[in-house]
Order: sequence, then C-alpha cells, then structure tokens
Amino acid sequence: MTKKRAYRSKVRILADMMRAIQIEGEEGAGPTKILYSANLSHDRLIQYIEELVEKELIEDIGTESSTKVYVLTEKGREFLREFAKVERFSEAFGIDV
Amino acid sequence: MMQEPLLTLIRFDLILESISGVIALMISHQANTAYRLTEQKRLSDLSTGFLVLSASMFGRVIGSLYFFVIAAGGSIPDADMMQNVVSMAYGFLKIMAFVLFAVSTRRGGGGQMPSEAAFMALPFLIDPNLELIAILVLLIVVMQALMNYAAIRTRFALYVLAGFLFLLLSLIFGIFATMNISAYGVSQAFQFLGLMSFLVMLLKSGREQ
Repeated sequence: MTKKRAYRSKVRILADMMRAIQIEGEEGAGPTKILYSANLSHDRLIQYIEELVEKELIEDIGTESSTKVYVLTEKGREFLREFAKVERFSEAFGIDV
Repeated sequence: MMQEPLLTLIRFDLILESISGVIALMISHQANTAYRLTEQKRLSDLSTGFLVLSASMFGRVIGSLYFFVIAAGGSIPDADMMQNVVSMAYGFLKIMAFVLFAVSTRRGGGGQMPSEAAFMALPFLIDPNLELIAILVLLIVVMQALMNYAAIRTRFALYVLAGFLFLLLSLIFGIFATMNISAYGVSQAFQFLGLMSFLVMLLKSGREQ
C-alpha cells in the first residue's frame, strides 16, 4: 500500500531546497543534488532556483558558467532559522505548513 | 462594603487575567508571523482566535476596573446590568475564540467546513448557557490537540495539549464559581496555567535549533 503524499506548500518546497543546499555546507550543492533531495521536477527546480537567487537567499559560486553550484546566503540561513521556528509552532497546533 | 479577602481575590484575578491577555496576544502575533511567511489560512484563523481571546480578557479587566472605579465613587447606575453586559461579552468572545481554535486545529485539510461567519454567529444563535457551549467547543479542541500529539509526539504539541486542557478545566471549575468562591479561584488559576503552557511552547519552539 502506498502512503498518500502530503501536499507541499511553495514555502515548504523552497525550504526543502535550501536545506538540501545547507547540508552540503560551504562546498555547495549542484542542481541535480537539489533536485533529488527536494524531490522536484526539472522545470520546477529551475523556476524555484531562479526565485531563490533573485531573493538573495542562495547564490551561485560555480567558477564556470556551465557549472552551477549554490550555497546559502546569510539571508537564506536567517530564513531557514525563521522557518524552523514557524514549523515547530505550527506543528504543535496540528497545522501543516 | 465588599469584604477585604474578596477584593484581594478579585485584584489577584485581574492581574492573572491581564498577564493571560498579554500571553494570548503574543501567541496571536507568532501565529500571524507564521501566516505571513507560509500563507497557511489556518494560521490566520489561529491568530484571530488568540486575538479574540486576548480581547475578551482585556475587556473583562477593563470592565471590572470600570465597575470598581464607579463603585468607589459611590454611584452605580444599574450595576447588575453592567455586570451582565461584561459577563455576556466575555462569554461570547471566548466562545468565538474557541470556535476559531476548533477550526484552525482541525485535522486534515479536506471536508466542508461551515463558513467562519456562521461560526462567529454561533454564540448569538444558541442560547443561553454560554459556559456549556464553551465547554463543548473546547472539548473538541482538546481532542484535536490530543490527536495531534498522538500523531507527532513532540513536546511542543504536548504543551499545546496541556494549554487547551487547562483552559477546559478552567471552564469546568467556572461552572461551580457561583456556588463556591474557591472554585472561582481554581478556575482562574487553571486559565493562567493554560496560557503559561502556550507561553512555554512559544519560547521553547523559538529557541530550539
């Protein structure tokens, strides 16, 4: 029997992507790593990465134009800390975010 | 003249009520912050619920203080009616808050829920025993909190369960308050404990890394 997949909000998807990047630390994470960790389609991945870069939550540290490597910015780390608080608070009341 | 021990109890009660009102406001603020970040509608309902609860508490404090100021001045025009208005408003607002808690903490996202407007009108449509209605609504909230705790088993969910449970006990003891003054004190103490549980949850969930 397969478990019904819970609906993920956009902010949850963005947080999952950022966590996947955070796990890789200073070395950063490439698009494939983020794609598998956050369980996304390729089109969605590109769309959300653009959004995260635009909001200065992640940055590309790849040395070549063809190689994309992303790390969290300070703003991104602050966002994840805030999201973790919100997550704990919401779950305590039985509210999924 | 009012007896001194009774006055002391009322003063103490108003202090507890004020602190509880501030805590409810803090929870409302955090729920609103969470709503702005996630756009999860249920967090907005939760925020409104705690805001209404806070308003009911401050309303009761202000109403009581106003009553005592007038009493101290020696002229109380229709004191019984004034007391009734404050008590009724307090009861209505509390039920609205509990209904919003029931809506926001319900498990699962699906299913048809009555509109909020209908929920808000509930206390006005159902008459007359507000305490009993409040107990029934809060019982639902406690059961939902219990189910949530059973599902995720975090200490934050336990604090929320304890908070709602204490509020329920407060209401139950509140029924006996008219017959026994100590029941009134116990009721207010349980309400304060309930809000303190929420405060502990708020602080601990904010600190943990």
